[in-house]
Amino acid sequence: MAKLTYIDAINRTLHEEMARDETTFLIGEDTGIYGGVFKATRGLLEEFGPERIIDSPISESLIAGMTVGAAMVGCRPLPEIQFADFISPAFDQIVQQLARYHWRTDGTYAMPVTIRCPWGGGVGGGVFHSQSNEAWFMNVPGLVMVAPSTVRDAAGLLRAAIRSDDPVLYWEHKKLYRSLKDDLPDGEEIVTEIGRAHVAREGKHVTAVTFGYLLHPTLEAAQGLAEDGIEVEVIDLRTLLPLDTPTILESVAKTGKAVIVHEAPKIGGIGGEIAAVLAEECFWELDAPVRRLTGFNTSFPAAKTMEDLYMPGVEEIRRALRTTAET
Amino acid sequence: MVEMAEKKTPRKKKSATETAEAATEAAAESQESGGRTTGEGAAPAGAPREDFQALQRRREQTALDVSRSFPDKYRLSGEMEGCTDARKIELLERLVKTREFDARMRRLFRQGRFEGTFYSQIGQEACDVVLAYQMKKTDFIGPSHRDLGASVGKGIPLTALAAQVYNRVDSPDGGRYTACHYWHPEYWVMQPSTSIMMNWIAATGAAFGFKMLKKDNVAAAFGGDGATAHGDFHEGCNFAAVHRLPIVYVIQNNLWAESLPLSLTTALRDLSHRADAYGFPGVNLDGNDVVAVWNATRAALDRARAGEGATLIEMKTYRWFGHSDIDPADYRSEDEVEDWMERDPLPRYVAWLEETEVLDAETLEGIRERVRKEVEEAVEFAEASPRPEPDAFLSKVFVHEYPGFDVRAGR
Repeated sequence: MAKLTYIDAINRTLHEEMARDETTFLIGEDTGIYGGVFKATRGLLEEFGPERIIDSPISESLIAGMTVGAAMVGCRPLPEIQFADFISPAFDQIVQQLARYHWRTDGTYAMPVTIRCPWGGGVGGGVFHSQSNEAWFMNVPGLVMVAPSTVRDAAGLLRAAIRSDDPVLYWEHKKLYRSLKDDLPDGEEIVTEIGRAHVAREGKHVTAVTFGYLLHPTLEAAQGLAEDGIEVEVIDLRTLLPLDTPTILESVAKTGKAVIVHEAPKIGGIGGEIAAVLAEECFWELDAPVRRLTGFNTSFPAAKTMEDLYMPGVEEIRRALRTTAET
Repeated sequence: MVEMAEKKTPRKKKSATETAEAATEAAAESQESGGRTTGEGAAPAGAPREDFQALQRRREQTALDVSRSFPDKYRLSGEMEGCTDARKIELLERLVKTREFDARMRRLFRQGRFEGTFYSQIGQEACDVVLAYQMKKTDFIGPSHRDLGASVGKGIPLTALAAQVYNRVDSPDGGRYTACHYWHPEYWVMQPSTSIMMNWIAATGAAFGFKMLKKDNVAAAFGGDGATAHGDFHEGCNFAAVHRLPIVYVIQNNLWAESLPLSLTTALRDLSHRADAYGFPGVNLDGNDVVAVWNATRAALDRARAGEGATLIEMKTYRWFGHSDIDPADYRSEDEVEDWMERDPLPRYVAWLEETEVLDAETLEGIRERVRKEVEEAVEFAEASPRPEPDAFLSKVFVHEYPGFDVRAGR
């Protein structure tokens, strides 16, 4: 049994899966010699050599787009976008080519590509190192998105993504990299099923739906409310696309109330999609308006004082859950 | 010499410069008579501004200059290295097939026999047919949207290509993708993306894959002159250079990026110079000269296969018709189009084969007969192929199933 951080779990899984499958290769900026700006890829170059661990030029479009041709000829590519905020130059390749190629070719080609994207705020990074930009991709057919919020799922979802034949955007939260530790048994091949949310805490009065770093303040808020007799059911989405709507609907049908918590701006965010699903599928079971607690409709601020306000905190989440529960 | 296809005379129309000059004269007359020529609303109706006229002149001179830079409009010279007479004849058949298929499809589009549009390649066939013909079936091609010849050159049956034009069930994608975006998995010609240069990057990735998996294959990517302004041109070339990838990059410089002339795409005279920025060879040649194209592509393929890395080949050529068949291409002058039509790559190659006694009239007639038959069969095949069921697109979004995914979105 080893105590691993979230980033250790990512690193260990990359080592294991690359050893298991010789058609895998990793390409990203500073991922080889330097071991990644966060050290997520440390040791890979030494183990697998420069033919499979590629230090890419600063060319995000290439990093994402070259995987299409490589996958066609038999590779299982593992591109890394250094910060999720830098994914926009690769947007065209991901949304127009990679995500659609299986459909476009009438199922001829699979695109077994896992794009790792360090994302999220709370790390003092300013606007280009803090964004939660997953909603940019929500409207893209053929794309899968996962976002682990625990050490175990960091390993399990990464393994599932690498072995998947669908293209997966794997959102790894920077604030969790070294703030979480867990015991992961040596040699256990943890696989977290893609497409399934996890009920992280059971409750009957209100459902909180969240993912990534915010799972933890949400659980803390739920713990506090339990002392006041409000039982919060907390759903950790784990897969953002396609959303596990059956699990969300089942929970909200039970509690009758829902609060969605995420870092991204409210307008056009994932919370809106979830709220719409609830309105369409679960209207008659609702006992209160669906609430969204999100980042502000601004860019992400740099100064600590501002960042603290931007990120939904435990107190704010507790207030939102209590208000909805008591409606 | 034989005529290879209907040679459509461009529409009789005054060039933009002539129109502009006429308007200037009118404006000058107006000035002499005391009228104001500057200021809003003062110029005669329809008179272009002077800076617009200068722009028009700049647009119109480039293509003629490039044409005149080649010494001979008609004759080919030299020898096709390492090409047997039989292969020269087979290559001719692929060229004729490309031309005749294209010409037939243009007519069928005008008759409203299929929806969408058609991207005619006529005039540019030598560029991609000659390279594709030399590649192995398992070599990879990333074509652009105008590369019918890459598919025909590699040997894809015309039936599959016609079904693709018609969006019928026998198209390789069952009619779900985009008409005229030819591809075929068995022949390793990938789907061109309508968004420019995605194929350039994908082919670079395929070349990387071949190298990493230690496969003895090479890749080729095609792009136009306009596409060299795209960031993906740079990102692909640069990466291929750093990793000495087995790839041949081809720029078909047809002098017009849709409506934009070369002079407004780049300040370079020759796009092959872009290769200098990456550290691999760049060559430029007359893309309507089959012999020159053969020798340059052969050398580039050899270089790629030997592990020596990429080559950029700029082929100067010309598309006879519009960007697509709904584009009248009236941004080009009649002189220019006629000049380039005289540089037609097919009769030039035929004449060279006859002069070198590789081709006789009987063989040529045989080719024409076989091609005519094959094109007709392809059209019949496409027209007989069923239209896809309306709901045939509602599948294969993902490889795997997910509990929350409803492809029908509740409909």
